[in-house]
Amino acid sequence: MDSWVIAMMLGASLVLGGVALIAFLWGIKSGQFDDKEKFLNAALYDDESELNDAAEREHKKKKLKEKNYRPE
Amino acid sequence: MSKIECDHCHLEFDASVMIEDAGHYFCCKGCQGVFHLLNESGLERFYEKAANTKLTPQTTHYDDSETFNSASFYERYVTTNEEGFQEISLIIEGIHCAACVWLNEKALHKMEGVIEAHINYTNNKARITWADHTVKLSAIIEMIRAIGYNAFPYDPSAQELSANRQRKDYYLRMAVATFASMNIMWVAVAQYAGYFTGITQDVKTILNVAEWVLATPVLFYSGWVFFKGAYYGMKNRVVNMDILVATGALLTYIYSIYITLNQEGEAYFDSVAMIITFVLFGKFLEVLSKKNAADTLDIMSKQVPSEVNVIQDGDVRSLNINDVEVGSIVLLKAGEKIAIDGEVVEGEGGIDESSLTGESEPVYKRVGDTLVSGTTSIDALLQYRTTKDFAHSTISNLVTLLEKAMRKKPHIEQMANRLSEHFSTTILVLALFTFLFWWFWPHDFETSFMVGISVIIIACPCALALATPVATLVGLGLGARRGILFKEAAQLETMAKANVIVLDKTGTITKGIPEVIRVTRLAPFDEALLFALVSSSNHPIAQGVGRYLDVDTPQSLHEVTQWQARGIGASVEGNTLLGGNARLMQEHGIDASVHSKHSLFYFAVNGKVCAIYELSDVTKEDSLQAIESIKRRGIEVVMLTGDHEENARHIADTVGIEHLQHSLTPEAKAAYVQQRQENGDVVIMAGDGVNDILALANANIGIAMGNGSDIAIEVSDVVLLGDNLTALSDALAISQTTFKLIKQNLGISLLYNAITIPLAMAGYIIPLIAAISMSLSSLLVVGNSMRVRWSLTK
Repeated sequence: MDSWVIAMMLGASLVLGGVALIAFLWGIKSGQFDDKEKFLNAALYDDESELNDAAEREHKKKKLKEKNYRPE
Repeated sequence: MSKIECDHCHLEFDASVMIEDAGHYFCCKGCQGVFHLLNESGLERFYEKAANTKLTPQTTHYDDSETFNSASFYERYVTTNEEGFQEISLIIEGIHCAACVWLNEKALHKMEGVIEAHINYTNNKARITWADHTVKLSAIIEMIRAIGYNAFPYDPSAQELSANRQRKDYYLRMAVATFASMNIMWVAVAQYAGYFTGITQDVKTILNVAEWVLATPVLFYSGWVFFKGAYYGMKNRVVNMDILVATGALLTYIYSIYITLNQEGEAYFDSVAMIITFVLFGKFLEVLSKKNAADTLDIMSKQVPSEVNVIQDGDVRSLNINDVEVGSIVLLKAGEKIAIDGEVVEGEGGIDESSLTGESEPVYKRVGDTLVSGTTSIDALLQYRTTKDFAHSTISNLVTLLEKAMRKKPHIEQMANRLSEHFSTTILVLALFTFLFWWFWPHDFETSFMVGISVIIIACPCALALATPVATLVGLGLGARRGILFKEAAQLETMAKANVIVLDKTGTITKGIPEVIRVTRLAPFDEALLFALVSSSNHPIAQGVGRYLDVDTPQSLHEVTQWQARGIGASVEGNTLLGGNARLMQEHGIDASVHSKHSLFYFAVNGKVCAIYELSDVTKEDSLQAIESIKRRGIEVVMLTGDHEENARHIADTVGIEHLQHSLTPEAKAAYVQQRQENGDVVIMAGDGVNDILALANANIGIAMGNGSDIAIEVSDVVLLGDNLTALSDALAISQTTFKLIKQNLGISLLYNAITIPLAMAGYIIPLIAAISMSLSSLLVVGNSMRVRWSLTK
């Protein structure tokens, strides 16, 4: 077995592991693990309407922000 | 009659009292209103999610929402973020389930102008962001109230925010370190296998490079805290553990890179990652068990109303407490808290001064008497003239003193910290000498450098760093199972060093509520009648009698009258009932000339005394035994009380305390604690009331009783949920055993170093031995810590 096989397998598994690690770090940073109870109940409150709400909130924020900077 | 469930709050009530509304049933108007509001705004899915959770019925109506828009309120609680939006922290009351969180967030998100509402289910704290030009804060709070909850603002202390940020930062660093170290170990297994069975140099280099890639984030991201610590240590000219860890890891890292590039020798990347991960783990445990900074001020401000009723030009007007001037006339109703110091000008009644003296029996106040802020009116309806403004009133002074005390709390240096300084210096010097010795022996630079570094690696304070945190963590766990909550790990060590324990009398040694100790029956009577009579009063004496009787079937009475600070009267089936003190009896022409040093409660039917109850505050059942066992540990026990000497002496004699200080104000209690500390004593203070908080905050260790006031629990370091003194002596036992264990652990890690360092200096350490011995010493320390469990349970 050539040594490049080892190198390739090591590299591939490290990249895959790295992706999972980055996803986990993102989860911590965005506060998904801050509230234990809410986290455990998350499955109950995770459907289409929640997604719509989140999108709508973004939209609302943008609109209000424009209003904020409008010279009055 | 059958019981029906309310369609909003799910509490069950009799069918006859329910409001029927289009097939739905409600227990009150409030629930009905919320139900319709939710249905109209499309939030009815709340009921699906909440299932059968019982909610609090919406009964109270508020009309103070305008105050939320005042400039002073905004200045205190509302912040503006960088995007120009307003933010506030609220505590939401009435959250029972995850569906409540969902409903609140959903309802707020639906509001025009609200950008983000985030509610923490665990602690009910909410963070709300909104655009003030579109929606006002009062509208937001009205919405929360409209759907059946209540919100009040709190000021998250800077400490709390930074503690949370620090904890999160450690999570991130730990995640990276753990991930990388675990993967390095897989690679290292291949390395070690190759070391013994033979491996080609190019495979070895590939493995080295993989380890290099993995070790880099561990050293420079996770290990950043050590570099920072080392920098501050050098700036202050202190050799700390961080310097040892940072130099050891960095030198090993650089050497390993050189080996990898040179394609010759053994790399030590696995040691780098393991040192950082282990020591970071120890640090993380310390951060995790750090005391949560208290929202002290806010709990304190909950003790006083934000508004008072002031009489101006014949009108009653409610004014913000900060706007009340000296000399204003304030109206005080029964049950209200006094916000500002003053002097009674009209009316009379009983005032509960337990927040100052700790005594539960109310004090009778009449015209000319002084009122102190923080105390509560029990049945007094009176007017008083303010003698100070709010900022200079007793309660505000108390807050200022408290903040000061908490800031400069005496700190006892931990043994491990003191040890690590000497340890680090010694190791660094030894490593340098080893290197020089080998170099001048003579050996080539490479070998000498490696031997020098192996001294640092092998001495890596993994076991030392874990010695204290692991032992204290086990101690904390044991305490928690017995209802003893230590707020910070370091307190176990401080507590073990204490030599004086100061106890509050009322509520700590005694039960804090009057109990019937003797009954004299003069004529036969129906106990159910007396029970009904005393149940109608909230005076502690009457309640004490009620608890003693404990009749199941109360009778209904007519014409119940309350005489302020005297007693209660009622009539039933043509009989007149009277219950109260001697003064009430004399006023009704009944002879009541029994003398006792305790409080007396007379019960008379138709002008004839039927029974006399003697009440007194009694000691808790286990007090005597617990105090004895504390004394056996060689700790001096002192009793402090706001009560007068006779009572205090009697209680002290009952439980076997020789030293006591009586008639103390809250400030005097704190002063006593401080004075003992100046004499070189390490002082534990145990108390329960608002009158103890200053002393609790000043003591080396403040211990609060579980049913004590919120503020006392907040400022203290240890909370006894069991509420008895046995828990206190248990806490001492746990802390002393834990401290013994810490000393053993430190001994183990030093002994381990005494064996391995000479080996390293002689050049006998190979990477595998370094890695194995590192894990072994850590395992020894962890294993030893587990023994705490046996030594206490046996």
